[in-house]
Amino acid sequence: MSLAIPNGLDNTVEQPGERAPLVLGDTTYHDITEAVCQVAERKPSTSWVIGFLISFALLQWLTICILYLIYTGVGVWGNRSPVFWGWPIVNFVFWVGIGHAGTLISAILFLFRQEWRTSINRAAEAMTIFAVVCAGTFPGIHVGRAWLAFWLAPYPSLNLWMWPQFRSPLLWDVFAVSTYGTVSLLFWYMGMVPDLATFRDRSVNKWRRMAYGVLSLGWSGSSRHWMRYEKAYALLAAFAAPLVLSVHTIVSFDFAVSQVPGWHTTIFPPYFVAGAIFSGFAMVLTLMIPARKMLGLENLITIRHLDNMCKIILATGSIVGLAYGTEFFIAWYGQVQEEMFAFTNRAFGPYWWAYWTMVTCNVISPQVFWFKKIRTTPWMIVTVCIFVNIGMWFERFVIVVTSLSRDYLPSAWAYFSPTWVDWSMLIGSFGLFFTLFLLFCRLMPVINMAETKATLAKQYHVSNDGDH
Amino acid sequence: MSENNEKKVHGVVAEYTSVDTLLNACRRVRDAGYEKTDAFTPFPVHGIDKALGIKPTVLPWIVLGAGVTGTVTALVMQIWMNSIDYPYIISGKPFLSLPAFMPVAFELTVLFASFGAFFGMWALNGLPKFSNPIFTDPRFDRVTDDRFFLYIDAKDGQFDRGGVEKLLGDTETDYVQTVVDDDSSDKVPKPFFMMWGLVVGLSVIPLLVVLKMRVSHSSQPRFHVFYDMDFSPAKDAQQYSTLFRDGRAMRPDVPGTVARGEEQANLNYMTGIDMEALTAIDPSRAERLVRRLNPYFQSEVESAQEPNTDTEKSSTDEPSQGDPEKNPAAAGDTGPEKAKASQADASDTAPAAAKPSVMETTPWLDSNPLVLNEKVLADGRKNFGIYCSVCHGMNGSGNGLVNVRAQKIMSPDWIQPSSLHQETLYADKYPAGKLFSTISNGIRKMPGYAGQIKTRDRWAIVAYVRALQLSRNASIEQFKDIDEPEQAKILKEQADAKKALQEKADADAKAAKKALQEKADADAKAAKEKTDADAAKASS
Amino acid sequence: MSEHNAPAPKSSDDPAFTLPASLAALRLPLCVGGLIVMLFGWWLASDIGDHGDNFGMSVYLTAAVYCMTIVLGCLFFVLIQHLVRAGWSIVVRRIAELVMVMVIPMGILFIPVLASLWTGEGTLYSWDNPEYAIEHGLPLDVWQEKLRWLNQGWFTVRTIGYFAVWSALALFFFKNSVRQDKTGEKAITDKMQYWSGPAVMLFSLTTTFAAFDWVMSLAPMWFSTMFGVYLFAGSILGAHCLLAVVSYVLQKQGALRDEVTVEHYHDLGKLIFGFVFFWTYISFSQFLLIWYGNIPEETEWFYVRQIGSWGYVALALIFFHWMLPFAGTMSRHVRRRPGLVCAWGAYLLIMHYVDVYFMIMPTVEDGNVGGVMGVVASILCVVGMAGLLSGLCLGLAQQNKVVAVRDPRLGESVAFENF
Repeated sequence: MSLAIPNGLDNTVEQPGERAPLVLGDTTYHDITEAVCQVAERKPSTSWVIGFLISFALLQWLTICILYLIYTGVGVWGNRSPVFWGWPIVNFVFWVGIGHAGTLISAILFLFRQEWRTSINRAAEAMTIFAVVCAGTFPGIHVGRAWLAFWLAPYPSLNLWMWPQFRSPLLWDVFAVSTYGTVSLLFWYMGMVPDLATFRDRSVNKWRRMAYGVLSLGWSGSSRHWMRYEKAYALLAAFAAPLVLSVHTIVSFDFAVSQVPGWHTTIFPPYFVAGAIFSGFAMVLTLMIPARKMLGLENLITIRHLDNMCKIILATGSIVGLAYGTEFFIAWYGQVQEEMFAFTNRAFGPYWWAYWTMVTCNVISPQVFWFKKIRTTPWMIVTVCIFVNIGMWFERFVIVVTSLSRDYLPSAWAYFSPTWVDWSMLIGSFGLFFTLFLLFCRLMPVINMAETKATLAKQYHVSNDGDH
Repeated sequence: MSENNEKKVHGVVAEYTSVDTLLNACRRVRDAGYEKTDAFTPFPVHGIDKALGIKPTVLPWIVLGAGVTGTVTALVMQIWMNSIDYPYIISGKPFLSLPAFMPVAFELTVLFASFGAFFGMWALNGLPKFSNPIFTDPRFDRVTDDRFFLYIDAKDGQFDRGGVEKLLGDTETDYVQTVVDDDSSDKVPKPFFMMWGLVVGLSVIPLLVVLKMRVSHSSQPRFHVFYDMDFSPAKDAQQYSTLFRDGRAMRPDVPGTVARGEEQANLNYMTGIDMEALTAIDPSRAERLVRRLNPYFQSEVESAQEPNTDTEKSSTDEPSQGDPEKNPAAAGDTGPEKAKASQADASDTAPAAAKPSVMETTPWLDSNPLVLNEKVLADGRKNFGIYCSVCHGMNGSGNGLVNVRAQKIMSPDWIQPSSLHQETLYADKYPAGKLFSTISNGIRKMPGYAGQIKTRDRWAIVAYVRALQLSRNASIEQFKDIDEPEQAKILKEQADAKKALQEKADADAKAAKKALQEKADADAKAAKEKTDADAAKASS
Repeated sequence: MSEHNAPAPKSSDDPAFTLPASLAALRLPLCVGGLIVMLFGWWLASDIGDHGDNFGMSVYLTAAVYCMTIVLGCLFFVLIQHLVRAGWSIVVRRIAELVMVMVIPMGILFIPVLASLWTGEGTLYSWDNPEYAIEHGLPLDVWQEKLRWLNQGWFTVRTIGYFAVWSALALFFFKNSVRQDKTGEKAITDKMQYWSGPAVMLFSLTTTFAAFDWVMSLAPMWFSTMFGVYLFAGSILGAHCLLAVVSYVLQKQGALRDEVTVEHYHDLGKLIFGFVFFWTYISFSQFLLIWYGNIPEETEWFYVRQIGSWGYVALALIFFHWMLPFAGTMSRHVRRRPGLVCAWGAYLLIMHYVDVYFMIMPTVEDGNVGGVMGVVASILCVVGMAGLLSGLCLGLAQQNKVVAVRDPRLGESVAFENF
């Protein structure tokens, strides 16, 4: 059952003094339930099946490559002296960054009382979890002896007789990304419980009912429960917000605490966070625009939602651009030869093509979102967002590879090339991501029905002009 | 409905179709004084807490406590692990690097606080709770869709079924129903337990296997999934190697190698021989020693001695592993012996016994060149204990552990190490230098220790051996410093000890003799009985 | 946002919307008194020690930068509220607008700073001193390059440029807001929303470079890409604190009693809490990266700020600018008590001054901060300057309404409720 957009209703225009409706059409609570539940209840569509088969194939390819890597060793990658951090770390930072948008939408927009987040936060949170899974794979396998990765945990080891080294940002990463994954998972799951109860109550099949029944913990919609639930939700949001900041900050510390030219700049923390949100929103839009069309959710994920997300992309893209400019200026201002060289090398050295791709995609392309026409045309949005994601991947590539390939000693300079395993793992990670996401679409409620109904209730209230 | 009267009444529920009608009803119920009430809604309704009189929750305090616990845990953990228990220097950062500990402290604060919020909330809500009487009514399924319910619990003090039904009926509802249990069983189905039992049982098996393997022994190496560099291809000592012609994995020193710290100019010190005296007696040997031990002098001596020492020089200079007979410089540890052998070969006159051996003719140093003090003796004892005592025993009597073992396994070609307390090894007959040379170069079955013990330590061992010898054969007269009463006391102690030993020996001998006698008597008796028995047999 | 508390809408002429007479009476005393105290403080500072001029100018700069950060914070507040189409903040936005216009008097107050460049040599900024590099054994080629940016002419042009941009922005948004008081046109809101985007971009650029120029160049060999953000963080915190304090004072004197509700204080309290955290995050990150990298050209800035008594100031910032207000403004119960929010706001305004002092004063020549007399002079100077600006601000407020009376979202703002 699809909810078609009534002609002529454009909720992107908001008159000062009124608030634009966020749920369109003559939608009732039941319509919301139907629209969201049918995504998981009906038979999978052809496009879903094809998408799933392709993603799953890519996932298998990734698995094979990982097994090959563990069996043979880290040498199958292109990592060589002096570029010891190659694509694995680039991919790690890329995926962790993408994950941040989900938490931002869930937590930070919640704290800012942005009602429009209610129809997109579930899918965005799911995206966060899957992005963190993709991200976590890379540091896990790049350590060389992946079966000993548990040595990073602070447990009393009877054969090592030593503890992890807490003065290292790589260990801070372990804690940060684990905490982020855990908290995101808790937040996502907690948010889903009422909707899983909806699935349970609509289930006809006994096993389905039991499965969703267990997952929804016996949720009954009790107001007393809702009260504590809301409190927990607000508290988790209050913690998740600084957590989002801290995770990508700590990831940026991996680079910024070093002395490598091009890495050791103090603006890295907020710059990385802005970049993460930037790429994350781009990925959210890339997923959401096809999804809303194919799943018939255009009245819930409206053009206004897309418009708002594009504005956030514009804002964070501009922050990233400002950071680039500041870094460049201060490199000149500081007059440290190696730092100045690092920047000229980026633009004109052997990786100039990566640098200019990055600048075009990150600084120039989001600027088109100043134009409302582009912000409200879905296919244009998807195009720009894909460029943004490419640009953000290249940003991490430029940071990691150009700085390492040419740092202090010219005798140590070398050109880095990826191997087929590097390529395979990058593409395969998308397979992992999309497999999980498509499974999520089939098994879990893709929109937060409870919150969207609450948004609708407010809308009813406003339009009824408050009768008490 | 009569069947309902038999079942337990949990409460009464009413259904509403909008938020406003629900809120109105809630206020009426609250104002009527009912406290054990609850509303059920598909989404959180703004204002319902006030409408029903729901009090705020203590959850924020739980979360605060959990968060603070997280901070403290993180800081204590990091400070303990990196500053107290196993501190090591990382790029000059202090052991207690508080700035560096902040990120993890922050993360654990957030993690613990989140656990507090998540688990605290479910706990306070009493969830998971899969069985709830309100679920018995199928109409209630719409609570997660688009219907709102108001419930008054039977446990409320004011509860009276009729009154409650009337009150709710007066609100804007079309459906009021009593909540009772349904016919479904309230026992957990058996397959559930069986399945869990199976899961738990199966999951214990790997644990048991691991535990068993941890406590049991095996003669096979541990099963390796990942080799983890456990089987290193590097050669161990004493292993065979195909890379060298002689097949040894351990390579000997390159001839002419001088250990760092051993480049002494003082050859007396290094050889134990009075080099001046040796030069007078046997200049060629002196020269060889000089060349072997001090490569700095090599060129000078070579150019001076060239025409006379061709053969020796060529054999000395080539660092080949060839014939040790012809290359006394390479075979350092058998030097004196081989030198002696070559001397014997070279001479074709009288048998070896008639000609004195090199060991006897060499002008050894008489005294230890080290200044003897407690430290030297202590070092000597330490090194003796490390290198010498395994064969010669801690007391130098020749019964070290190696000897004990060799006797036990009755090793066929084992010769007991010399006792250091033989008279032939006393200082008057075996000068210090000779002892030093023996330690350095070996003798008979004993290897030379020049490669393992520093020169100075070898002299210390010499001093210690002298001390050991004195411990066995010192006479009281040698200790001139001891005064008379002390001397007498020591002598008396010696005499007493000797007497006690003697008495014990006598007693042992007597006991042994007695035992022997008894055995002989017993044998005789047995023999006699036998002959008697035989005789009796024969006679019968 | 339910409206079950909505009061009956008042007319635009309601006295609740004008500056109370008690405050209006303070205009002239504050202006005159503030000016006198500021000049006295400045003179007192110039009289201290061997490098009186340098010390005096540093004290003056501290006061000027402090006031500037608050004013700029208010400007940013206004821009961002327009950008995100916020509804809750309408009732306090006018206060921020009145303060942001003070960027124009600040421009005049900045003239002595520029004058010190043209008259003295290195009175305030050591790069203005031609002998500095040689005296301190700095690499001359590096120094020459830097002087291409740090020279009196270009610096002056830039400073004038910053003030030009800020004044233009402040006046644009103020004038439009005030015009809406009279006409109530919704198109004005649309216009301000439309231009808020580019305005924020301009603001970011100018503020970043102003921070580099005015404060970071006091240590000309040092650099930190985060510096602009660091100054901005303190600035936005100070602005929110000021809004809380001023709202409370206005309410106590009789204005806006029904308009600014406990819900607004709750939001301001939340934002103050959030920005305390943000300030901590930014300043800690800057410190951690420089500490960890341990590169001498970067650590010198922090090193100077941790030896001797400056170490205590640093500790004070950690405990009293981070931990105490963080714990204090965390609770919902604190945030819903206007008096407490005002108190924390006032407290943090003081701590923000300590932060600015910590940024600027350690760079005085010989590191001599003149003991007690020096601190007293600094405090007098900043109190005087703040007083002067308050007086001017009150003057402006008296000619206008203290709330945007015909803003289309005023009703929404008054009625909103927190969760």
